[in-house]
Amino acid sequence: MAYVLRRVAISIGLIWTVATLIFLVLRMIPGDPAELLLSSGGVAPDPAQVLELRERLGLEAPLLQQYATFMGQLLRLDLGTSLTDDYPVMDEIAKRLPRTIELILAATILAVAVGMPLGVVAALRRGSGMDRTLSAAASFNQSLPVFVTGTLLILVFAQHLRWVPAGGYVAFAQDPARHLTNLLMPAVTIAIGLSTVVFRMTRASVLETLDRDWVRTARAKGLAPRHVVRRHVLRNSLGPVVTVIGLQMGTLLGGTVLVEYVFNWPGLSGYLVRAVEQRNYPEVQGIVLVICALFVFLNLVVDLLYAVLDPRVRHG
Amino acid sequence: MTKDTRNSAALSRRGFMGAGAAAAFAATSIAERASAQGRDRLVFALSSYPPSLRPWANTGTAAGTAKCQFLRGLLSYGPKGEIRGELAESWSSDSPTTWTVRLREGARFHDGEALTPDAVRRSFELMQDEKSTASLRGALGALIDRIEAPDARSVRFQLKKPSATFVYMLASWHAPMISPRSNEANPVGAGPYRIADVERGTRIDFDAFDGYWNRGLPRTKKLRMAAYADENLRVAALDAGDVDIIEYVPWQSYDSIERNAKLAMDVVDGPFMYLNFNCVQGPFTNAKLRQAVAYAIRREDVVKAAFFGRGSAMNGLPFPKGSEFRDEATANHWRTDLDLARKFLAEGGQPNGFSCKLLSTAQYGMHKDTAEVVQQSLAAIGIRVELVLPDWATRVAVGNRGQYDFGVMGSAGDFNDPDSMAQFLDGSQTPNYTRSHGYNNPKVNELFEQGRAELDVARRKAIYREMEKLALEDAALVGVAWRSQAYAMRKPLTGFANLPGFLSFYSGLTLENVTMG
Repeated sequence: MAYVLRRVAISIGLIWTVATLIFLVLRMIPGDPAELLLSSGGVAPDPAQVLELRERLGLEAPLLQQYATFMGQLLRLDLGTSLTDDYPVMDEIAKRLPRTIELILAATILAVAVGMPLGVVAALRRGSGMDRTLSAAASFNQSLPVFVTGTLLILVFAQHLRWVPAGGYVAFAQDPARHLTNLLMPAVTIAIGLSTVVFRMTRASVLETLDRDWVRTARAKGLAPRHVVRRHVLRNSLGPVVTVIGLQMGTLLGGTVLVEYVFNWPGLSGYLVRAVEQRNYPEVQGIVLVICALFVFLNLVVDLLYAVLDPRVRHG
Repeated sequence: MTKDTRNSAALSRRGFMGAGAAAAFAATSIAERASAQGRDRLVFALSSYPPSLRPWANTGTAAGTAKCQFLRGLLSYGPKGEIRGELAESWSSDSPTTWTVRLREGARFHDGEALTPDAVRRSFELMQDEKSTASLRGALGALIDRIEAPDARSVRFQLKKPSATFVYMLASWHAPMISPRSNEANPVGAGPYRIADVERGTRIDFDAFDGYWNRGLPRTKKLRMAAYADENLRVAALDAGDVDIIEYVPWQSYDSIERNAKLAMDVVDGPFMYLNFNCVQGPFTNAKLRQAVAYAIRREDVVKAAFFGRGSAMNGLPFPKGSEFRDEATANHWRTDLDLARKFLAEGGQPNGFSCKLLSTAQYGMHKDTAEVVQQSLAAIGIRVELVLPDWATRVAVGNRGQYDFGVMGSAGDFNDPDSMAQFLDGSQTPNYTRSHGYNNPKVNELFEQGRAELDVARRKAIYREMEKLALEDAALVGVAWRSQAYAMRKPLTGFANLPGFLSFYSGLTLENVTMG
């Protein structure tokens, strides 16, 4: 119990640290949200109007007072409202986070469906022509920036073949078919890079497992090669692969910016970039905190699981 | 054996079902794409999602384009850029300080409220309220003395001083009327469309307002405005048929769109790029050195590098082509002349050149590319330029504080009248990043004031001629390039017009005339 409490306390401390850092960093970088808000038409605003808006937005208050207000809101799980149109930040995140998660999940499923079998095949045929071809293809895939892949996909499948829309978003409830068609290309774009990671990890892990003594023993016992691979090699190789996939998914949570931009997918990453451009303090703080909280939560779960699986962790 | 057979049968069944589902899905999506733009729905691709839909705040072109679908003012602009009656059917100046507008009979707001003089007065009062975010708040407050209602359909504006530009304020899309039953946060307008649905950050759906004063309009009953921030994706979406019309066509795509038989483009020279200077500290406090810069810039190279040749050199002040106030001789004052540039350098006490910093932004390619060409141009006369390229937010903050030697800016006037240049040259106004820092020539300020107060066109021309001469001597605004501003659309679409000059950004007003062929 003490272990659990300690981990929870550390997690809360981490979130508080991130919240404080993001609060301070935002106010240290140049760029005034009120000034930007009133001059987005390219016409400079009246300074008196800027001052009034700053007062209305609470930006004229002393930093400590702003910090106290911010922390007070956080304790009530209130992320505040957008500086541009007073829309609740929490509501917007609640709308956008599932879209990004959906995109990441779809990309991961595609990446695993392609990368894992190919990794196994490459490992089983180590040094063969197929292994070399697959490894070369993986290197090529990995060197492709997502905006190049995305743009090429748009050119071929939207503009030339006209099979899918060039980009955009339609809610699933509004039109499921259109929603999935819109999801396809951004998911494939992420999956191309991600499948390479899955492929390489699977190949390396399977190769390592194939050299283990117990695999040799299984073969020596006369088990069918297919059976050895399925029952003994694959199962024991998947641990590191799953770990890497998990880490990659976590990274993608705030890292789908380019794909969301290229395909006009209104997720969390694009929201964060726009909020930073506008110096929209509540939005940036809210998004970073939610991403941070998710990471911390996932780490906490992993830590607790380790403790369940390995008693030495909770007593050490 | 039995197990294998069962498995293979199951796989086969799954495979069959999967293939069937995939085929159905593909068929659905293709059918969906084929009918994405029916004749009754127009899809307009905005360059960004409007930061806010507050009626009187200036929150950019995309926001203005969206807002003018559901909000309209007393006056607006016709397809050729002419001022026309909107919610007012006529307007007249009874004296230099009195303007009377006659409200359109039957005009009403989306909530059914009639447009009355009281509603007009309330809208103007809200615009001038000290808490208002109206971009015209200061200008209207400085100008309007009182608003009267001589009868049930007339509104009389008593001004504190004569104003030739008051009609432009009435026509501005930052001065729409809102229903007396609504407020700034949740405005109800009287535009051709009413908002039907909003997916914040993604799209705004509009339905035609059947009570719009201009009977028969809008011609397309449904309008969707979807945000496509990536300029290349906007073009791809137009080409793929996802959208019907796009704004801010990227210059690099002009050629491909012109070659595409399914697409059309409407292009005008409207906005412009220019240089502004720090006139308080640093080398450019010396007007001779500003002149040296003005004569050394290779403007044609800027047009080629930043705008793919789609624009033209701006060798003087931003008097739009076709404006009755434009003088072709002075409009070509600063032709590239390196000898003359060196002469001014010498007169400015820097015959061997000097080092300085040029503020621009890496966030917008046209700003960065312009800065790079300026840097190369000035190297030819020995001015060593270091580029400072922060993001846009920082550029605005740094510009407002005057923390730069000289800077690249892009802008456009609010309306096609020389008075719109006051924001770039009138030093009596509060400092801002669009104007040279610390520049203040009382004579220039006075001429702007005179031009604003003068209603006679011939006399106004003479005033602005004199102002132009002084401003060219001061070189506090050095023109660099007019840039093309284009809308591209699918061929069956008719009725849209790109308004001339600075009014290009107002072109969304003509969406009410669009039909899908």
